[in-house]
Amino acid sequence: MLVEINVNGEPRSADVPPETTLLKMLREDMGLTGAKLGCDVGDCGTCTVIVDGVSVNSCLMMAARANGSKVTTIEGLANANELHPLQEKFEEHGALQCGFCGPGMLISAKSLLDKNPEPTVFEVRDALAGNLCRCTGYTKIIEAVMDAGREMRSGQSGA
Amino acid sequence: MATRTKDIRADTEELVTEAKAPSRQPLTVPTDKPVAYPLDLPEGEARLRTPAVGQRASRPDGRLHGLGQTQYIDDITFPHMLHAKILRSEYPHARILSIDTSEAEKMPGVLATLTGDEIPENSFGPTFQDQPVLAYPIVRHRGDGVVAVAAVTEQQATDALEKIKVEYEPLPHVFDPMEALEDDSPKVHGETNIYTSKTIKKGDVEKALKESDHVFHRQFRTQMVEHVPLEPHASIASWDGNGRVTLWTSLGRITLGREDLARTLAMPQSKIRLIGTVVGGNFGGKNEITNEPILALLSKKAGRPVKSVFTRGDEFISSTIRHPFTMDYTTGVDNSGKILARKIRLVLDGGAYCSWTGTTIGKGSILAPGPYNIDNILVEAYAVYTNKTTTGAMRGFGAPQVCFAYESQMDDIADALGIDPLEIRLRNGFSENSLSPTSQTLQSVALKESLTQAAERFGWKEWQE
Amino acid sequence: MKKRGRGMACMWYPIGFTVAANPSAATVKVNTDGSATLLTGTVETGQGALTVLGQIAAETLGLATDDVHVVSGDTDVTPMDTGAIASRTTYVTGNAIVRAAEKAREILFEAAAPLLKVKPDQLEARDKRIQVLGFPSSSIPIGQAVQHSESVLGNPAIGSASYNPPTVEMDPETGQGKPFNTYVYATQIADVEVDDETGEVEILKIVAVHDCGTPINPMLVEGQIQGGISMGVGFALQEEILFEEGRQINPNLTNYIMPTSLDMPELEVGLVDNYDPTGPFGAKGAGEPTAVPTAAAIMNAIHDAVGVRITALPATAERVLGAIIEKQEAERVASH
Repeated sequence: MLVEINVNGEPRSADVPPETTLLKMLREDMGLTGAKLGCDVGDCGTCTVIVDGVSVNSCLMMAARANGSKVTTIEGLANANELHPLQEKFEEHGALQCGFCGPGMLISAKSLLDKNPEPTVFEVRDALAGNLCRCTGYTKIIEAVMDAGREMRSGQSGA
Repeated sequence: MATRTKDIRADTEELVTEAKAPSRQPLTVPTDKPVAYPLDLPEGEARLRTPAVGQRASRPDGRLHGLGQTQYIDDITFPHMLHAKILRSEYPHARILSIDTSEAEKMPGVLATLTGDEIPENSFGPTFQDQPVLAYPIVRHRGDGVVAVAAVTEQQATDALEKIKVEYEPLPHVFDPMEALEDDSPKVHGETNIYTSKTIKKGDVEKALKESDHVFHRQFRTQMVEHVPLEPHASIASWDGNGRVTLWTSLGRITLGREDLARTLAMPQSKIRLIGTVVGGNFGGKNEITNEPILALLSKKAGRPVKSVFTRGDEFISSTIRHPFTMDYTTGVDNSGKILARKIRLVLDGGAYCSWTGTTIGKGSILAPGPYNIDNILVEAYAVYTNKTTTGAMRGFGAPQVCFAYESQMDDIADALGIDPLEIRLRNGFSENSLSPTSQTLQSVALKESLTQAAERFGWKEWQE
Repeated sequence: MKKRGRGMACMWYPIGFTVAANPSAATVKVNTDGSATLLTGTVETGQGALTVLGQIAAETLGLATDDVHVVSGDTDVTPMDTGAIASRTTYVTGNAIVRAAEKAREILFEAAAPLLKVKPDQLEARDKRIQVLGFPSSSIPIGQAVQHSESVLGNPAIGSASYNPPTVEMDPETGQGKPFNTYVYATQIADVEVDDETGEVEILKIVAVHDCGTPINPMLVEGQIQGGISMGVGFALQEEILFEEGRQINPNLTNYIMPTSLDMPELEVGLVDNYDPTGPFGAKGAGEPTAVPTAAAIMNAIHDAVGVRITALPATAERVLGAIIEKQEAERVASH
């Protein structure tokens, strides 16, 4: 079964069995191993990607269902010249430890800031509630997201 | 011929001249395209400063994590790599009567199977080697692996597991650690379920309890919990033509892991290479070999690299968990709240195999009296086998359990005597050169500083309910 | 009705293995441009060990953190290490690295001394230079010293060493002995609100003050404390593997409840100013102690709020409510 998607601005396609999840297709057929397999049933959030503007657990979405969609993965956040402000702030604050939850966490945070550029701490906690982290206790992650939001807003105010 | 050479040279000279021309524009990568290579970015400032100690230096791996560039084991693939899955026991305690893999071996994509009796030395363990790599002939808990299958895809390996026929003879089982202590309980290994014990004795605890103004007694219990590293256990095994095996593994200790592999595979250590890549969380659960010998043998049989990643279910039932503790605390104090005596009994639910119980019972016993100056101490600790998930190393090795007990009791004492909880701890707490429960002179002690500073930050004295 | 309570818990925790030898070895190589490579057999499990170990090597050689490249986790290449366990890495592997780097540094001092016209023991490595103690303007860049040592004298700047904490065996009958070379201490205080009609516990804030000796990287120690507290919160209120007839009935993350970003309270973290002379630059360790006192602090806070003593973890809403009802019953009976 041929599935065609636009990933991080590039058209990609793969021929996969019908029971293939979007996560499996991204990781194994498209070489995009940023999204992780942590539980395969949508509990941990390490597989989070953005599909047509909505953050989803890619382990729960069939690849076929994503056909024709615009997908953003962690590999699409930075560009050739600079990190995404979220990536910059996560690094600055030491927000990631083992890093396994990182791609999913960053995608969920991006999804939040794209819709709500000035979230409260509670709104950040709520947006990240589907992304489990065992290492960090979430504190520095939340600080980094708030800081990235500030940076993104100050960047825009000059435009 | 000469003309051709002249043309090429002329073309080359033209290109070289062009390249040096100041008007040549460098190629720019469009900013809306994804990047697959490290960006040319400045390092965090703290990384560039001297002196290095005390700097809030950013982590180089932190940047890679944020880019999604970190290669965990499941992100690594090799040409012709196979996937392995493990069939686990159906019973908490049973004898394996027969294993029939013939149907499984005929399934599409299956290239190798493995059972415990094929493993050269089928035992491992950090203290004593009571745990099998693949259980044979006895299974001791439902998470025990029995048969391993390697196939071209993960789905094929999972499908093949369903075709494996294992015949079991169920044996009597024991789940409750208090029951496991009894002489007439079903036995998990050998003649007794008590597989390790520890005693700490100082002074005369019975005499001191009799002389105490107040005696407090309580039993505390803690539960089974799991590390839940976000990255499940993962390994890949691959051989080369010289009979050398390389294992990429999420193991937290590779030097000793190599020793374990040399032992289980009956091979020299120099023929084994362990590569510990970035681990997605350990917390104690990845400090022992799990699938590595299995993958090495499957890989040898199939002549191809073999990868195995635990499912989340495997993580819970097959990897180690924290020891549940049953703790009896009897403490004698004088009227001023000074602890005169403490008697403690710890029973550790040791699961089906020893794993890191030796360390847990040792640390648990030493730490159990708490960071307090107590002249008369008796700690008696026992670890028992039960037919449940193996209990092993988990962040704290018994400390969180005993701290729950000794600090809860401290507040009970404070409450009964009408003493402020901060005050009673300062009265009894260690200082520089205090003696520990094992009569060690303690140095670099910062207990009271942590108490007073925490209380100040919290606003303990100003607290209004 | 919501009742507010506070509870504290303090703890002590050892560094390294109980009595048993748990050595670490390390190799440090200094390059001709003044950068360095550190070989360590430990594995990065997420806590930031490699960054901290790099900082320790850098400090010994007078370099910046970024000047040291850390190679780890390959039994073909890196030396022996007992492993990332028992909070031992900063202390044991750190001490091995200090010794290894000192050996490499000694080779550099031997090479630089005649160039600076002093004896080797008059030199120090600081701010990327080998300089004369008490007269820093007389110095050469570290790279120059390496170059001279390697290419003129034929002595590459490399050092290997190991460290094992000294212990004394415990008596088999009384347990008396010296099982660890050093310990760390901490206090955590929890501020909670308990709903006495549902038993639900909400943690409003936790204050944690930890001793880790010298914090080699304070940002990473904070991360360890925050992460440890989240494990402590789970241990206290949520996590439990449920067992029935020898079978786990919740072996998944849907029904094994652990803290999400919504479950974590505001955290305030502080470090005690302490220096342990037996540790690398005074450092001890931080990995496990952070998860130790949290549950006790929360249980004491629950006791303060609603007067019930929880004796079995986790303190789920059912258990807390059950204890509250039992207490109310006992009070009702007593008052008659």
